[in-house]
Amino acid sequence: MSDGNPAKTTPYTVPIGPIHPALKEPVMFTFRMNGEQIEKADFAPGQTHRGIEWMGMRRNPIQIVHLTDRICGICGVSHSLAFARAVEQIMEIDVPERADYIRAIIAEFERIQSHLLWAGMAAHELGFDTLLHLTWRVREQAMDTIELLTGNRVNYGIIQIGGVRRDITPDQHPAIHECLDYYRDLQGKLLRIFLEDATIQMRCRDCGILTRDDALRLCTVGPTARASGVNMDVRVDFPYAAYGDLDIEPILPDRYLGETRGDVFDRIVVRLLEVEQSAGIIRQCLDVMPAGDILWETKIPKILAAFKKAHGEAVGRHEAPRGEVLHYVRMDGKEHPTAWKVKASSYSNLMSWIPMLEGEQIADIPIIVASIDPCLSCTDRVAVVRGGRRSIMTKEELHRLSVEKTRRLMR
Amino acid sequence: MSGRRMTPDEVVAVFARELGGGVRGTRIAERREGAKKHPSYTIWIDLDREALKPAIRTLIDIHFPHLSVISGTDIGTAVELNYHFSIYYGTKGGEYMVTLTVALPKDDLRVPTIADLIPGAVFSEREKQEMLGVEVVGIPDGRRLFLPEEFPEGVYPWRKDGTGIPDAMVKDLWAVGRPANRPARPVVAREVQGEVQAAEKEEAKVTGRAPSTEEAERHE
Amino acid sequence: MKLTKSFNRSLWAFHFNSGSCNGCEIEIVAAITPRYDPERFGIKLVGSPRHADLLIVTGPVVKKMRDRLLRVYEQVPDPKVVMCVGVCGSSGGPFYDSYNLDGPVDDVIPVDVYVPGCPPRPEAIIYGVVRAQEKLERLEGERA
Repeated sequence: MSDGNPAKTTPYTVPIGPIHPALKEPVMFTFRMNGEQIEKADFAPGQTHRGIEWMGMRRNPIQIVHLTDRICGICGVSHSLAFARAVEQIMEIDVPERADYIRAIIAEFERIQSHLLWAGMAAHELGFDTLLHLTWRVREQAMDTIELLTGNRVNYGIIQIGGVRRDITPDQHPAIHECLDYYRDLQGKLLRIFLEDATIQMRCRDCGILTRDDALRLCTVGPTARASGVNMDVRVDFPYAAYGDLDIEPILPDRYLGETRGDVFDRIVVRLLEVEQSAGIIRQCLDVMPAGDILWETKIPKILAAFKKAHGEAVGRHEAPRGEVLHYVRMDGKEHPTAWKVKASSYSNLMSWIPMLEGEQIADIPIIVASIDPCLSCTDRVAVVRGGRRSIMTKEELHRLSVEKTRRLMR
Repeated sequence: MSGRRMTPDEVVAVFARELGGGVRGTRIAERREGAKKHPSYTIWIDLDREALKPAIRTLIDIHFPHLSVISGTDIGTAVELNYHFSIYYGTKGGEYMVTLTVALPKDDLRVPTIADLIPGAVFSEREKQEMLGVEVVGIPDGRRLFLPEEFPEGVYPWRKDGTGIPDAMVKDLWAVGRPANRPARPVVAREVQGEVQAAEKEEAKVTGRAPSTEEAERHE
Repeated sequence: MKLTKSFNRSLWAFHFNSGSCNGCEIEIVAAITPRYDPERFGIKLVGSPRHADLLIVTGPVVKKMRDRLLRVYEQVPDPKVVMCVGVCGSSGGPFYDSYNLDGPVDDVIPVDVYVPGCPPRPEAIIYGVVRAQEKLERLEGERA
């Protein structure tokens, strides 16, 4: 970044990454820059490829459930649920209805904590650290309730093939309601802070736009797709667990704002409204939850024996906080599956970065990258290649550029 | 896109009509969960490799599909690829999964790209190239996706034949052993030697346990 | 050695993810947010290893990350303390038999404090940081 460099005005390349491995696989970006503007963006995931699918093909599904918990620390139940549903379809077993409801309740609590986590990280990328601390403090309420229900804050380990491991007892209901009331009272405040704040409007409105056509063609899922106006929510469209019994409407930005722009701001709106929606779903579940068993079979050796009789292939899907997760499993009468493919939600969303980023400014990279919620997003290290000279730019500096832009706009 | 939502049987009939002999087999799986037992349908269609692109065009004519992912299995003599689509998303409880399956014989592992029809597919196609060793003909971006650059050529993690992961690549992180840089054990007296053997036996007993039983006991 | 009543420095930590599932990451961030608020004691996460006293490593060290971990370790100024958070950094955890690992962490760099758990609770992480600070004070005492 020497000032007298003649190559300063020509397009130069900025690699960013490997990113904070929030995804199943973190990403390394390469940008071709023209001044402050991004001309072309490219990325390479796989910085922390662990080969989970390969390991899974050597283990039995009961063991894999614990592995699926650890595909992503934030989606502690999403992958397990999708995987268990795939295996249950192959084994042709019916999950007890009560277990379906408990699965939905835990999945919705996960959505609440995940969206709040994301909102905090987005605020941090804009340089609004007060808001980061505020959202993470209110997130702890959901974490406490999850811990009460499952025994763990992260990686809940509640899903078992054929049901769930823990029941929700009547004496836990007051604590759950207390948590839901807390978020009901908080919702107005959160929406006011995020949606009426002039700074957030300036940084996020018309920034990182993804058109509806691009969202469809690039196979995006979840809040990212919905913010671009694609009506797509696995819970509503393809009912599973308890979701078929409930009254749910997909959250689309035009229902709140009257229009859909597909920008970062719309993505914030969708996620914040989904916090409220999730609380509503949990209330509905608690009201109509049937009594009964929570497991198809309690004896592990019997479940293992059933795997050896299972033949066939199936797909399990679930709407995770970030969008659809899909597990394809194939069993051929052995304890371990013959094939297992995990499709995480961010897997589908990464391609949408390219149309979002191209044409934007370097200081907008952190918030746009974060806006699809690739779990957390933190740029680890940036190397600037300029006229053949290579200098290292840290994540801190990129973050500083973003914060400075906020300050400039506020003047 | 036609206006009326077809039943799963009608969708299958459209494929049979449009593709004729290209369809090898079809199956409709139904799943009902929750208290109300609302049905959800997954349509499985087995195709000839040549029928893959026409099948996707047929699917686009029905409703622009959402491609979730392409999965793959090594079934011995061939590699099967499954293209997992969903159609009619956005209709309450009316979405169908449509999985198109093509089998590629091991001596000719080539499949045409579908990225010209659905640009988002390139991500998944890149993964299939590195994980299963199939060649996606005409892929706009053929680089590796997840595997590191120094990953050996000709090794494909999901294959179950000689091109799978060799044992030498697996580093068992649970393994504990005597550090290699320590001096050799002193010559042991007879009774001490007996102890060592007993200890080694004990160790074999612990490590020799099958993981599945260990797991089972933990849950009991 | 006991921690002195007035710490002789505010402890700055750099977090390095070597391929973790992100569970430990969010618990580390949760540990620095207002419920626990260790920043009262000057403990905070920094964006560059050159500013750090403490290197927090998570994950089982995938092959691509090995060299980067070594480079980051060398960038942390002496005296430094390394803390390994999460069970997959200490033994591989559920990923022990993967084909793409070079771990565990102590095969790559020396580790001073292990915080077990999958993931450890924020309280455990803070306890680990306190132990790391004790060790750091001892190292400084030895240097002086």
